[in-house]
Amino acid sequence: MPQTIEKGFTRRGFLKVGTAAGVAAAICGHTRVLQALVKTAEQPPPAGIHKAYSICDICINKCGLIARVDEAGVVKKLDPNHKFRKSRGMLCARGNAGIGQLYDPDRLKYPLLRKGERGAGQWQRLSWDQALDHAAEKLQKIGEKYTRCGVLFMAGSDMQSGFVQRFANVFGSFNVISHESNCLLSLNRAFLDTFGMIPLPDVLNSKYIILAGANRFEALITPDSIDLMTAIRSGCKLVVLDPRFTKTAALAHEWHAIRPGTDMAFLLAVAHVLIGEGIYDRKFVEEKTYGLEQLSAHVKPYSPEWAEKECQIPAVDIRRIARELAKAAPAAMVYPGRRSSDYENSTQIRRSFAIVNALLGNFDRPGGLTIPQPIPLKGVAYDAPWYDDNPEGRIEGERSQMMFEEEGSFKHARDAVIEGKPYPVKGFFTYKTNPMATGANRRKTVEMIQKLDFMLTVDIAMTDTAWMADLVLPAPSYLERQDPVSPVQAVSAGACIVTRDPVVPALFESRPVFWIVQELARRLDLANFFDFSMEQYRQEQLKNLPEAEAALKQDGVYYIQGNLYGSYEGKPFKTLSKKIELYNQRYKEAGIDPMPVYRPPREVPADHFRLVVGRNAYITQASTTNNALLHELVPENTLWMHPQPAAKLGLQQGDLVEVASKAGKGTLKVRITEETRPDTVYMDSGFGVLSRGLSRVYSKGASIVEILEEYNDAISGNMAMHETIVSVRRV
Amino acid sequence: MSASTEKRYAIVIDTFKCIDCKACMIACKVENAVPEGFWRNWVHHTGGMNGRRTLYQPGQCMQCDEPSCVAACPVGATYKQKDGLVVIDTMKCIGCGNCVTACPYGARYRNPVRRTADKCDFCAHRLKRGEEPACVETCPTRARVFGDLNDPKSPVSIIMKSEKLVRVVNPVVNTEPAIYYLAGALPLDWPVEPTLPGNVHMNSAFWKTAR
Repeated sequence: MPQTIEKGFTRRGFLKVGTAAGVAAAICGHTRVLQALVKTAEQPPPAGIHKAYSICDICINKCGLIARVDEAGVVKKLDPNHKFRKSRGMLCARGNAGIGQLYDPDRLKYPLLRKGERGAGQWQRLSWDQALDHAAEKLQKIGEKYTRCGVLFMAGSDMQSGFVQRFANVFGSFNVISHESNCLLSLNRAFLDTFGMIPLPDVLNSKYIILAGANRFEALITPDSIDLMTAIRSGCKLVVLDPRFTKTAALAHEWHAIRPGTDMAFLLAVAHVLIGEGIYDRKFVEEKTYGLEQLSAHVKPYSPEWAEKECQIPAVDIRRIARELAKAAPAAMVYPGRRSSDYENSTQIRRSFAIVNALLGNFDRPGGLTIPQPIPLKGVAYDAPWYDDNPEGRIEGERSQMMFEEEGSFKHARDAVIEGKPYPVKGFFTYKTNPMATGANRRKTVEMIQKLDFMLTVDIAMTDTAWMADLVLPAPSYLERQDPVSPVQAVSAGACIVTRDPVVPALFESRPVFWIVQELARRLDLANFFDFSMEQYRQEQLKNLPEAEAALKQDGVYYIQGNLYGSYEGKPFKTLSKKIELYNQRYKEAGIDPMPVYRPPREVPADHFRLVVGRNAYITQASTTNNALLHELVPENTLWMHPQPAAKLGLQQGDLVEVASKAGKGTLKVRITEETRPDTVYMDSGFGVLSRGLSRVYSKGASIVEILEEYNDAISGNMAMHETIVSVRRV
Repeated sequence: MSASTEKRYAIVIDTFKCIDCKACMIACKVENAVPEGFWRNWVHHTGGMNGRRTLYQPGQCMQCDEPSCVAACPVGATYKQKDGLVVIDTMKCIGCGNCVTACPYGARYRNPVRRTADKCDFCAHRLKRGEEPACVETCPTRARVFGDLNDPKSPVSIIMKSEKLVRVVNPVVNTEPAIYYLAGALPLDWPVEPTLPGNVHMNSAFWKTAR
């Protein structure tokens, strides 16, 4: 048993590196009761033994937690906040491991300026003034030479990302993207275009759920993952379609090892049965949907017998599942899922999900698809200045058929920067997003970055993205931050709002991005757009919610009263027909298939494999694999391969293999298992990093993005990460 | 045991709810400063393909009623308290390691920082504060139930009345573990025969089959 203990690394030793935390803690020492908000922005967090609310940031779910701090001001433990209903009062492995992020010796500590070549890892320490002066000068120069649109901004999912967007807007760039085009935009596109809004699944009350791909017992989403187990206990049947025997498949009533890329065939066949046997919700479909006639004709050839040949699931099962779905309806659903970055037609695939849901009549009903609650947070309005010399539009807008303007497309933006078309982009500002580790085809991301005059990254760790930047600015972890108020949808757990206040003072010289953009704005004559403190911003946000502040202090959360079901009665849908569109008229007008047309996935040639990616419950994409606590659970990734092809390749368990695609290669150990199809291999994300600033995970495993070729969904510009065919050989 | 003010702590685990998310393992590690390379708890599992659901089986020190680890300790550093917890007095422990191999469950390890034996103690320090063990509190699917078997109103007493429970025991020895599982949990027979030092004699009831 390995007995490596980091001898010098205790939490106390870590703090001695130098902050005021120790000093403050020594001064006041008596016990305090639960404290949440500090009184003003200037007041430091309480010292000494205390508990404080915060909101976890290790993944997207924002679970409420209570941090326990000891007499020396050290966070000892993160406990779940029992009043936080979305998480059903729990905290997962990653939430518990938050202390590993806070006290990671690898953390970025002070501003760094690149000294040597990009990716050489040679840095020069700067003071904040030097760093911000430098950044402002660079941004100004790029703005002058290439217009303000010459800077691309990319902010990840974070409570302060709105301030980065604000800065980008007042700076004058149209080129603002999120990470969502590496995630779920094709899903959002499909459901938005069907229902006129993006509904949320009411898992808790459902009686029949089809999970196509969504690995909910590993890809944790609250409350869904927890509610799924509760629902199963209350008699909900779970059917999983997945080429892998994931833990979700392992806990399901039925698992079908569907041929990758054929979900649409399965669901069109389900629609065929629902309509053909007349077991769809006639009343609902008649009153609330448009296009049944066209859809009926459309799905006639898509019989279960036809689908069996495509998805390799027996027709008798497809037919039976369709009938079971109909019987359980309306408390039955095709779970929408989240990450839909899989195939070039991922929007159309999700259209087939949405259409089947519509046929089941589960919209706005228990156990079906529900309406997100309105959350009356006020914004702080501003009029962004106009820059005369700016070009007409974004760099990537023309490359997708229907891109989400607010989210953009990373893949298309990357291409545009590399090509310098429609106009050059020479600056890149990233905040809490890691495209070097999550954007398919890493070489292309490197190529893009090499085209830049100036790249600035704000992050908490020396991620692969930071590793490639010119200027790296250290941000504090969520436990050290004061954040604006954020809305959180939670389906049956009740929509709520959350905020954060520092549990401990910011370590080292880390500064929140709110302060960074404020300081940049000051230097760029845009100070008036950031003339408020975080405290004032929150006050403004909560103007329509007078009871919220006290509740946030007391409970760590404030619930928005609303009706989960029935609030959409009589309202028109935000579509051309004002109904749920089975047949999408806007698509027709735009030259896009108005109903999903099945096309088989690309062939996997003999002796090759399709590479798929996915999740487990202790890795968040690429941001947790260096966390000391979580690294112990998964020190490196492996290539999952079925025993049959493994034998053919002469592989034994744990052998080193090289995985190669047209994009690149990676070397890692093979995990021979029946838990994947013979034609499909799988790798966890977050390994094979380039950054030596991630000391635990550096040189471990292989990188998915080095191997993944870049494809995209035609409609939304979403990355498509399951289209890569690889060969594998022993090394 | 008489219904008294004495507690008799136990945990009941529903393995059908466990999703092997390892929240319990990390929560314990942080709560109890378990050193890198060691764990106080685990999640085992059955194989689950070919039409069978996988069963994930969390476990930790079973706080046994007939603890072979206590018998193996040459200095009396480990002993069973009245409340059922099997505890380690780190001032007495000489770090000999006898107790580690004496445990059928592999629940003990030698803590390299303290150089004494170490294991789960149901988060005794949290119990003093009126809180549940960290693993119980954090579990996303509420697969774990904790309480006092001497209190008829406690969750473990209630579940014991309404559900059929089983325990995980080696086929040859019975250390009378205080962690129960809902019937149907598998595998049940994975614990190993304890390796006891030569001078330790367990009473005959400890051995389920004649030796």
